[in-house]
Amino acid sequence: MFRKFSSDDVSAQNQVKASVQRKIRQSIADEYPGLELVLEDLLPKKSPLIVVKCQNHLNLVVVNNLPLFFNIRDGPYMPTLRLLHQYPNVMKKFQVDRGAIKFVLAGANIMCPGLTSPGGALDEQVLEEKPVAIMAEGKQHALAIGFTKLSAKNIKAINKGIGVDNMHYLNDGLWKMQKLE
Amino acid sequence: MSEKPQPERVLYCAVCSLPAEYCEFGADFEACKPWILQNAPELYPDLVREANKKNVDKVSNKLESVGISSSRNNAKLTAEASSAGASEPKQEVKRLPGGKIKKKLKQEVVIEKIVRNKRKCVTVVKGLDLFGVKLSDASKKLGKKFATGASVVKGPTDKEQIDVQGDIFYDIVEFITNTWPDVPGNAIYFIEDGRKVVAV
Ligand SMILES: [Zn+2]
Repeated sequence: MFRKFSSDDVSAQNQVKASVQRKIRQSIADEYPGLELVLEDLLPKKSPLIVVKCQNHLNLVVVNNLPLFFNIRDGPYMPTLRLLHQYPNVMKKFQVDRGAIKFVLAGANIMCPGLTSPGGALDEQVLEEKPVAIMAEGKQHALAIGFTKLSAKNIKAINKGIGVDNMHYLNDGLWKMQKLE
Repeated sequence: MSEKPQPERVLYCAVCSLPAEYCEFGADFEACKPWILQNAPELYPDLVREANKKNVDKVSNKLESVGISSSRNNAKLTAEASSAGASEPKQEVKRLPGGKIKKKLKQEVVIEKIVRNKRKCVTVVKGLDLFGVKLSDASKKLGKKFATGASVVKGPTDKEQIDVQGDIFYDIVEFITNTWPDVPGNAIYFIEDGRKVVAV
């Protein structure tokens, strides 16, 4: 998604109406209850909230020039990795084994065996089409944000092919875009 | 629900920008190593061991190279060593044939246009300081003359340059030569399509 992302991909950016801002806050709070108490710090009611529309139906939620969340079309909002690193416990987590790290960091989607091998781990509660944090064996911090193609149970049962789409990973275009002018 | 979570601080590598524990998977782990040894040695115990082992050799190497450099004119060498070594030689290679290959620290002003966002662009002016022009002054004058924003910023090699918002490519040479008579017109260069050409 963000492999070659840069500010050139921005097609429009708008400060959204208060009603839209409320809606965005609400859906983020619903998706990530752990963030509810810090939402006022992250998306202050008084600061303008900018929605940056990019190619491929991608939207970025930007406050004070910092990209904080993204979503696709009307899909669920997902935090940027820099934000997730600050609040690591707000997302459910999957873990890939060490061997998968370099593929994930090259933008590859996450294959089931990388999650089911001894170095991997799954949160059984995660259903399909849900955002998850992708952690890695032996590492403390998330290396990617994923969107599940299969539920955790099916990843285990089927154990081949792509289990999670890689939405955003360390050193992709969104990671490099620390600030948006 | 408990109390308000406090943001965690992650140690990001100053070289590759990744969390330090991922440096080993970054584009250039070698480049990160000195930073890691300084800032996050606990994450890479092997690296520390390796560094300690090498240290003995290194010290003797270092002594040797100091010996060599002091035998040449050392003022220049230290200057070279402190400026980012990578970019200087590149400029040297880039010079077009024409017999006019001069010293590395050539007195010249380089003007480059950088396009952002397709429509907006920035005109970067480098090297005015080499003619004794105070950059903060120059940036104010440029901003005023072209009715735009201008600021002194640190360029990629840590040298200061002036960024002027907007495309002022073709009016700028006259303005520079008029405002600072010490700057000769033939010392002003444009960078066009990655090539350096004399402005006048
Ligand atoms: Zn690094």
